[in-house]
Amino acid sequence: MSAVFSLTMVAETLRISAPYACAAAGGVWAERSGVIQIGLEGVLLTSAFTSVAVAHATGSAALGVVAGVIAGAAISVGHGLLVEKARVDAVVSGIALNLSAMAGTRLALRGLYGSASNSPAIEGFRFGPTGSAGWSLLARVFADPVTLLAIAAVVATPFVLARTRLGLRVRAAGENPVAAAAVGVDVTRVRLSALAISGAVCALGGVHLAFDQHRFESGMSNGRGFIALAAVVVSGWRAGRAAMACLAFGALEALQIVLQDQARKGSLGDLVQLLPYVATLLVLAFAAGRSAAPKGLGKPAEE
Amino acid sequence: MPAPVLRVDRATRRFGELVAVDGASLTLEAGAVSAIVGENGAGKSTLLKLCAGVLAPSSGRVLIGDADLAPATMAEASRRGVGLVHQHFMLVGAFRAIENVVLGAEPVRSGGRLDLATATARVRELMTASGLPVPLDAITDDLTVGERQRLEILRVLYRGARVLLLDEPTAVLSPLEAEELYGTLRRLAAEGRAVAVVTHRLDEVVRFADRVTVMRRGRVVHEAELRLEGGGRRPAAGLEEELTRAIMGGDPPPPFAPPAFAEGAAVALAVAGLRLGDGAGRTLLDGVDLEVRAGEIVGVAGVEGNGQRELVRALAGLEPRAEGTVTVAGQRLDPRARDAVRARRSVLAVVHEDRHEDGLMLEASVADNLVIGDLGDPRSIAFDEAAVVARRLGRFHVDPADPARLAGELSGGNQQKLVVARALDRLLSARATGAAVLAQPTRGVDVGAAAAIHAAIGEAAAAGLGVLVVSADLAELRRLAHRLVVMRRGRIVATLPPTASEAEIGRAMLGVEAA
Ligand SMILES: Nc1ncnc2c1ncn2[C@@H]1O[C@H](COP(=O)(O)OP(=O)(O)OP(=O)(O)O)[C@@H](O)[C@H]1O
Ligand SMILES: [Mg+2]
Repeated sequence: MSAVFSLTMVAETLRISAPYACAAAGGVWAERSGVIQIGLEGVLLTSAFTSVAVAHATGSAALGVVAGVIAGAAISVGHGLLVEKARVDAVVSGIALNLSAMAGTRLALRGLYGSASNSPAIEGFRFGPTGSAGWSLLARVFADPVTLLAIAAVVATPFVLARTRLGLRVRAAGENPVAAAAVGVDVTRVRLSALAISGAVCALGGVHLAFDQHRFESGMSNGRGFIALAAVVVSGWRAGRAAMACLAFGALEALQIVLQDQARKGSLGDLVQLLPYVATLLVLAFAAGRSAAPKGLGKPAEE
Repeated sequence: MPAPVLRVDRATRRFGELVAVDGASLTLEAGAVSAIVGENGAGKSTLLKLCAGVLAPSSGRVLIGDADLAPATMAEASRRGVGLVHQHFMLVGAFRAIENVVLGAEPVRSGGRLDLATATARVRELMTASGLPVPLDAITDDLTVGERQRLEILRVLYRGARVLLLDEPTAVLSPLEAEELYGTLRRLAAEGRAVAVVTHRLDEVVRFADRVTVMRRGRVVHEAELRLEGGGRRPAAGLEEELTRAIMGGDPPPPFAPPAFAEGAAVALAVAGLRLGDGAGRTLLDGVDLEVRAGEIVGVAGVEGNGQRELVRALAGLEPRAEGTVTVAGQRLDPRARDAVRARRSVLAVVHEDRHEDGLMLEASVADNLVIGDLGDPRSIAFDEAAVVARRLGRFHVDPADPARLAGELSGGNQQKLVVARALDRLLSARATGAAVLAQPTRGVDVGAAAAIHAAIGEAAAAGLGVLVVSADLAELRRLAHRLVVMRRGRIVATLPPTASEAEIGRAMLGVEAA
């Protein structure tokens, strides 16, 4: 049982939560600005692939990270342009984003690396201790630049939204775009900025996923974008709570890994794997209807 | 004579075919409160929007000081000291009041961090100087309408406005609050600002304005100085009638007389023991008992926020948690019953106070808005939508009477006519027995349209409906009703004849014992 309350557990929780938390923070940025964003999954996938491809091509992990983040921000802004300028339905655009990310990365895998399943391995960031348990694992997690960036972005999100001029305008655009426009806020511009940030923050999650595996695997986001979206809704579109929800989800998944190790021989393993998902369903069932979406979510910028 | 601070010179503004403002000129001077009046759709709001750079004129000029407003944008107008308070609140409900004040003109420290402390200090100074108290840390949705109105003005002052434009600021205020507001505006003008107020309440113009401009179909058709040389005011006698004539371009409508009503008529609407809490321990309705007889018009008076809104919502079946009974035309309405909606619809017409929130689909056509609620009924197979729409448009003089236009494009007063038309016409045409409940039926509505709505209310009563009217406008209630009831803290605390004096009604509203 002590395995459950161990440093390994803490380290694994952080490592596993990072992509969820980044995607959720990205979701909060988009939706608090009033743009429905169900394309987080696609952003994760695209940024994961881009970071690996660039890191592989240049041999520079740092360049990979930068490229991944730019790619995430770019397609997120693309979604924003479609919705705000071309008045495409946000759900349709989001679905399109997810599908084309799925198909596009698969196509690029084949084209670039001649593989249907995964890219060649990349070096990523390898320094600090190398253990896979206890102190050394925790130290490794905290020495990883991508994890640090992810933590910084997730922690900064609620602060920036609550305390800065940009945050105030983003919230105004999401709550009441007409009123915001009436006091001279350029709602479309604010929303596009929010989407750029949303894409960049979410992309850190994608990059984290890929760098954690040291390669890109087809479909490796594996529904994380949708679970993050659920976390956003359950938390009532509040960044801090969404991050906590993701941390809790990560902890359950970590627990499942730890327990699975111990229950490997029994048939319990499969059931244990269900744990995080069952927990999500339960939370959704109890929190549904109690959260308040931004009032202007999905409302166009003009009267 | 003081120099003009803002001048509109033969400005025209078109929306496609429609000419909303047609070669209108206007001069606003420092130190003066100017009133702008006119029918719904006359172009008053559009004119103010031209002044504030919200809209650019199609032709003509707007001058601030000596120079053209160029570019004609809100940012430029605001920078040069012109501030507009819109006809509808432009506030973010979920924000704290102070956040609404600074939005768009935020003081920041390094890194774009909001400096709300500095803002709060400045706004507090403004509040004391201008006499506009608002709880700055409260959530805007929790503020009273009066507080929200003050918040809007504070926000304009915070941006350093020298020209203050207010579009129907008193439409949502009680008479007392309106009087306070004009006191504030006079003070702000005396400090050297120019103030312009759009209103439909002519008594306000007569009492508080220095001059008045009358608009009709986009043009300025009449102007009058109300402050006489040497400091006096023009006597009120005849002034209201002169303005009414100018506004309507003809004779004023005959004064409203409530139709005769027989004391012994059957009870049309009976409310017994109606209670409602807000779920957080606060009592909103505290046992309301009320009877309205067929053909009777009962007016509900009260300081806003004393349960009137909830009463109307409960009657409309929108408060499923309400306890107590509502009986209309002998039929008990239970919101939880199957078929509750249809049962209610066939005997009860409701007009909600917030036409944007509860009354209209702004993005849908006038036609759709006029028949929503009549569709989906088995009988509606024989329902001639076009005919019904035409009848409702005609009966209430909606202008433009174009069924295809979006409801959101109509002027405020015409939007109100849509809501009233839909509610009353349904029962009147079906010759149904029942009741009509109208909250603030003429809020933001011009004299002519108000007369039309009052006439329709009279018609409804004459046809045998029981009518309950909730209004913040005491004068309106006294004119309309056979009987007044006063609401305070969620209960009915007094029943008075409409001949009771405003002072007497006011005392009941505030809960002060008569001396
Ligand atoms: N954005 C718009 N698009 C199209 N037509 C408009 C628009 N804004 C106003 N109009 C039309 O211009 C005319 C003038 O409208 P405006 O809102 O200025 O009237 P108003 O005098 O303020 O009326 P009210 O007293 O009802 O507020 C109306 O016929 C209205 O339908
Ligand atoms: Mg108007």
